[in-house]
Order: sequence, then structure tokens, then C-alpha cells
Amino acid sequence: MAKPLHGIRIADFTVHNAGPFCTHLLSQLGAEVIKVESAMRPDAFRKPHPVYGRMGPATFDQVASTKLSIRINLKKPEGIELSKRLVGLSDVAAESFRPGVMARLGLGYDALRAVKPDLVMLAVSSSGQSGPDSHFAGYAPLFGAWGGLGELTGYEDGPPVEMRHVMDHTVGMNAAVAVMAALHRRRTTGEGGLVDVSAREVASSLLGEALLLAAAGTEPHRTGNDHSRMAPHGVYPAAGDDRWLSIAVASDAEWQALTGVMGVGELAGDVRFTSAEARHANRRELDQIVSGWTVTLEANDAAERLQAVGVPAHASWTTPEIAADPHLRAREAIVEVAEPDGKIRAAVGVPMRLSKGPEIGIARGTPKLGEHEDYVYGELLGMARAEREALEEAEVIY
Amino acid sequence: MSNAPLTGLRVVANASGVAAAYAARLLGTLGAETILVEPLQGSALRDEPPFLDADEDVSALFAYLAAGARSFVCDVTSDAGRAALGGLLSEADIFIDDTLPAERTALGLDEEAIAARHPDLIHVSALPFGSHGPKAGWKAHEINLQHASGEGNLLPNGLSVEMFPDRPPVKIYGHFAELQGGIAAALGALSALWVRPELGGQYVDVASQDAALAVGAFAIQRLGDGSIEHRVERSFRYGGVIPCADGYVELLTLEQRQWHGLVKLLGDPEWALDPALDDSLERSRQGPLINTHIRAWAAVRKVEDIVREGQKLSVPLAKYYTPAEVVRDPHEAVRGLFQPVEIAGAGVLNMLVSPFHVSGEPLHLRAGPPALGEYRLPSANTAANVEA
Repeated sequence: MAKPLHGIRIADFTVHNAGPFCTHLLSQLGAEVIKVESAMRPDAFRKPHPVYGRMGPATFDQVASTKLSIRINLKKPEGIELSKRLVGLSDVAAESFRPGVMARLGLGYDALRAVKPDLVMLAVSSSGQSGPDSHFAGYAPLFGAWGGLGELTGYEDGPPVEMRHVMDHTVGMNAAVAVMAALHRRRTTGEGGLVDVSAREVASSLLGEALLLAAAGTEPHRTGNDHSRMAPHGVYPAAGDDRWLSIAVASDAEWQALTGVMGVGELAGDVRFTSAEARHANRRELDQIVSGWTVTLEANDAAERLQAVGVPAHASWTTPEIAADPHLRAREAIVEVAEPDGKIRAAVGVPMRLSKGPEIGIARGTPKLGEHEDYVYGELLGMARAEREALEEAEVIY
Repeated sequence: MSNAPLTGLRVVANASGVAAAYAARLLGTLGAETILVEPLQGSALRDEPPFLDADEDVSALFAYLAAGARSFVCDVTSDAGRAALGGLLSEADIFIDDTLPAERTALGLDEEAIAARHPDLIHVSALPFGSHGPKAGWKAHEINLQHASGEGNLLPNGLSVEMFPDRPPVKIYGHFAELQGGIAAALGALSALWVRPELGGQYVDVASQDAALAVGAFAIQRLGDGSIEHRVERSFRYGGVIPCADGYVELLTLEQRQWHGLVKLLGDPEWALDPALDDSLERSRQGPLINTHIRAWAAVRKVEDIVREGQKLSVPLAKYYTPAEVVRDPHEAVRGLFQPVEIAGAGVLNMLVSPFHVSGEPLHLRAGPPALGEYRLPSANTAANVEA
């Protein structure tokens, strides 16, 4: 059985993380994603990264694996023509430059639609293709700040919290949904279209209910780990250094089950805690009591004991715990991939299982720069060896 | 006829949780007709905070998640209710369900039963831990999911963890992980639908845990590179959340020209002109010292002034907007991010429509949230309708 998006071809001009994560998801689902780079502008993962202390290129990355790689120098007019030939054979063109950059290069939606009338074009940007702020440069923490998610996240008495790569990748997953919707319309009507994804709006979409409160005239504030109704609800200390356990109790039945596991049956009848309202009103006292119990327990053991009696709980997992988890591995949410030197490492798979698509997921590691030019230039575009060599000589394929 | 991309598709959602409801919301906003199946007393989401009224009758969360959907009341524990749901599903393209795995077989909602009766239906399961795997039966609320998927343990970072290093990790606002489950479910639905002409219907198993992990994939990537992320160290060495005289800005300079812009913004102070700081690795090493200077400079300035001047110099800076500022943001007014919708009990309010445009214009919500049971089956099945 082929992967579900088998047959869809994407010319991928995206850079950084948000756009590439979109095409990464689609490639795992079977789309043929042709990543366009050049030696002048290699992907961020081909370079050292001072922020994270990576002194050489990544050997594997989560946003380019399974893609095909070709080189095109977009600074050369012939590079623009070559790009158009690629787009002419593609269903989707994807980009994530600042708005206006693709048009200045001669690769804007109108120019590409001229070579591929039913093209679905994806443009991912910090603030969208229109509006007064559309020229703003941005990264994940800025999307989170503009969108309101950073302001609402954090301790009640502390500052807002900086959103990190989860923000980029949420943008990418939204973009994948929008691209698929546009492809469905193309299949039905023959019409392509420009899909314009704004990263700050994706951040805002994660707090739609708070924005409604604001529209109604009330101003929500950050509340740490508190829930406006549930108690106990929070992250409690567990045995060991920096170990934590999340617990959320939503009903009287869950409360009674919790007191049973804690061995404090008498609390179930304590007037401070007999109703959800009372538990919430007295939640600080309750947090103290629950913490006094959790701090004696190994976090995963405690979570299992609580789940066994129907109380929602989970240890606060570190990355190694996630990578080793049998449940995530059974679901192929965590998979193993091989590095070029054969070393095995954990990677994150595509977040779904399909009954008729068991082979979805990562097929290959990060491609070498230009690794798939024989296929793309030779087979797909039918370019003769001499033509390719001339373009290499002219630093167009570069 | 609407030009919304999923016009003509029909989605039925049996949703008591955020993930399943948000998947339907996304597909509905993209043009699908969505029908929310609710029990006699209404979906549990109608009782979820926050509320738009003092009596806690009007859930803002439900309003946001169910906007544009129809509401069909149907008691799936009864034969008549199951027959009615079967009628709906026979005319649907996509069914999104978050019934607990242990309860599905008795209700005829398990994978095999649905596939047998509706061979062309895309059947999407959206659960906290998925419907397969050793933890499929585990229960989770949002805070549990964030801690089961990685980001929970990694926040807060930057200024917040600097100020409160001994506090427990703090969750991302709202329903972050569950919404990721919804986005992944929508993607799964559309991917399965794409291949339906060849393969017919199929079952899509989505876990909010998997989806939240997917967007946090870089932590796993770095583990493979040999480093384990921790919230205390996971900070940019300088910049980040900067307290100003009247609020906070986010500052992040990753490129050399942005650093030069920042130095100019700070007024070319002597410390910043040290040639050693021209090297990005040296700046990382001296990050805490650089931040001391930046914070002292920002503490006596207003957010708006810093952002305005910084943008002129192409320094990536953003104000930490409050929800009210997002709602009245002139940029978003031009983009049509919000649309007034009627919410019974709360009046007409501006609601976020969608974070993307398709074909150069914003998408459109059909309506606000539906009244319970306002949708009735066409006449042939009227007997199966159940009064709320």
C-alpha cells in the first residue's frame, strides 16, 4: 500500500522551522517533497548552531528527513527559471520568506501560477501576507508574544513565558491542514490557490476562548498551573531531584479515589474538600497535603497507581523517558532512525496511525545537499548531463 | 456557493473533549458542514470554563470550539439514538469520535463496527493517549498531557525560571496539547480522505500526546545529538523576555545584522562596542552580562517606544500582547482574524476565525455556537430525533 499522499509533489523553498515542519509532515504522509537549497544558503541544520552549541552540521534533523534535496541558486536569473520548471511539475510550492521576497525573486504566486495555473502555493510568515505588520521579521518567541500565548503563560506573580519550537511546529502542522484542504478543493474544482499562514495568528488560535473573554470586556491573566475549577490540579514534587507529578482531579469520584490511594480516607469527609467548589476554594491547603504525599513517591509509580483507580495523572517526563517509552514506541510516535554511520537514534514520527497506511513516517534521514539531482534534474526535468554541467559551471546549480 | 476549500464535505463529531471538537472546528471553518452529536444534556464542553457570564451558563471554550457547527441531540446509549447516528454517518465523509476505547464496542462505535457499516467513512479517533498501545485506557487532562509529551517539563524558561528556579514547571496556557491533537486529527482526516478514491474509508488513530510530542520534536532531536534539554538551560543566552517600564518585550537576535541593529538601538554603548562581541559565540558566553545591560536600559523605557525604534532597525522585537490587545490589534483588523458572531446569552462578540487565509481572503464562520439540538434529521428519520 502506498502512503496516502503518494503522487503529490511539493517544491519546497521553506526555511527555518515552521514551513519545513509542514512539508516534513506531508513528506512522511507520502508527498514527494523536493527541498531547494544552495551552497550559498544551506539549510540551518547544515550549519553550526551557536545557540545550541552544535559545532558542526546536524547528522539528522526532524524537519528535512525523507525530503529530496536539490541545489538552486536563487540569486541567478537562470536559477529562477529552473525553479519555475520545477514548480511546473509540482502540485504545491511552499515558501516561508518574509512577505515580498518571493515576488522580488520572480517566484511570487502570480509568476508561479503563470507556469502552473492550478498551483497550491503555501506562504508561511510571522504575521501573514497582508496587514500593516506583514513585513515584521519573527521567530517562535515573537509569534508567541504577539499572539497572546506568551502573556497568558507563566506564574501568576511572574513574567510572561517565551514560547519555543513548539510554536514553530504548531504553525507547520496548521499549514499542513490548510494545504491539504486546498488540494481537496483543487481536486473538486480544478482551482488552486494561495494559502497564507500567519504564525502569530496560529499562536492566537490556541487561546480562542481567552480572546472571547477579552472581546466581552474581561481581561484574563496568567494563572500558573491553576485550573479555574479543578483541585487538586497541578505539578507536585515527587521523590528525587527535580522530579514532578501532574495530577488533575475533576470529579468527586476522582477525589475519593485519590484519597483512597493516599490512604487518607478521612479527607474524603473533610468539609474543606467535600465538594469541587470547596476543594477549589481551599486548593492551597490541598496542594500542601497532596505534595506531602507525592514527595515520597517515584513519579511514574505514583502515576500508575493513580491511573489504576481512574485519577488523571502523569509524571513530568524528561526527554530520555519519552524516547524510551513503550507506549509511544508501540504507536510509532517515537521511531528509531539510523545515522549515516549506522548509529541508531530516536526520532519523532508522524502523529497519527492509519489503518490503511501503516508505512507512513520517516523513510530516510536528512538528505545530503543536492543528493537527488539525478532524479529531479535527470528524470523529472529531463535535463541532459551537459545542460546540468553548464548550470553547475555557471553556479546556478550550486 | 461558497469557495471555502472543503465545501461539500460533511463531518460528524461525537466530541466531549477539546481535541475532537477542535478537529471538527478546523474542518468546519475550512468549509465542511459539521454536525456535533450531543447527549440529551449537551456536550460536556458546554460546561467547561472559562465562561462568558456570571452564572456560568455560557462557555467561552464551547463557543470557540463549536462555532459554525450544527447540534444534533442523540442518545447513543439507546437503540433509537444509535440508529439516528447511523443515519447521520451514512451521509458523512468524516466521523470524529472521542468515546473512551472501553465504551466503544457496546455503543457500536468501535473501529470494526464502523468500518463494516460505513465502508467509505473516514473514522477519526481523537483521544489523549490514542486508541492503541499500552496506555490507551489512561485518562488525562491538559496538564497531564503537557507533562506526558515533553514541553511540560521544559517550561518555564528564560526570565521566569531565572526568577523562580525552585518552583514546579509551569504549563502552557489553555489547551495547548489537546489542540495539537485536534490539528493532527484534522490532518489525518484530510490525508485519509485524499486517498479514499483508491482505498475507501479507513480508521485514523490520533493521540494528543503524540501530537504535542511531534511539535516538541527538537528535544528528541537534541537527545540524539547528545544533549538533554532542561528548562533552566534552555534559554537564549541574551534577549528573551525583557521587563520594561510598562510591560514586557520579547527580544531575539540570531543574525549578525540584528545584533548590530540592537547595539544601535541601545545607543552604541561602550560595552557593546567591544570587538570581542562581534563574535556570536563570544556573545553567547557573555550572554548574562549582555542581558544585565539590556535590562537596565529597558527598565526605564516604555514597550511601545522600544518596539517602534527597534523595528526601524530591523531588530526582532515583539510586545507581549494581552488578549485584549490581540482582539483590537489594527493588523488583525486588516487581516480579518476576528468575525462578529452571535453567542446566545452573551450577545454578539468578535471571535477568532482561522490562522490562515486560502485564496487571499480570510475564511468565514457560518455562525456562533449552536443551540442544543437545533439540527433535525431530514423527514425520513424524524422519528429518531430525540427532544432535548
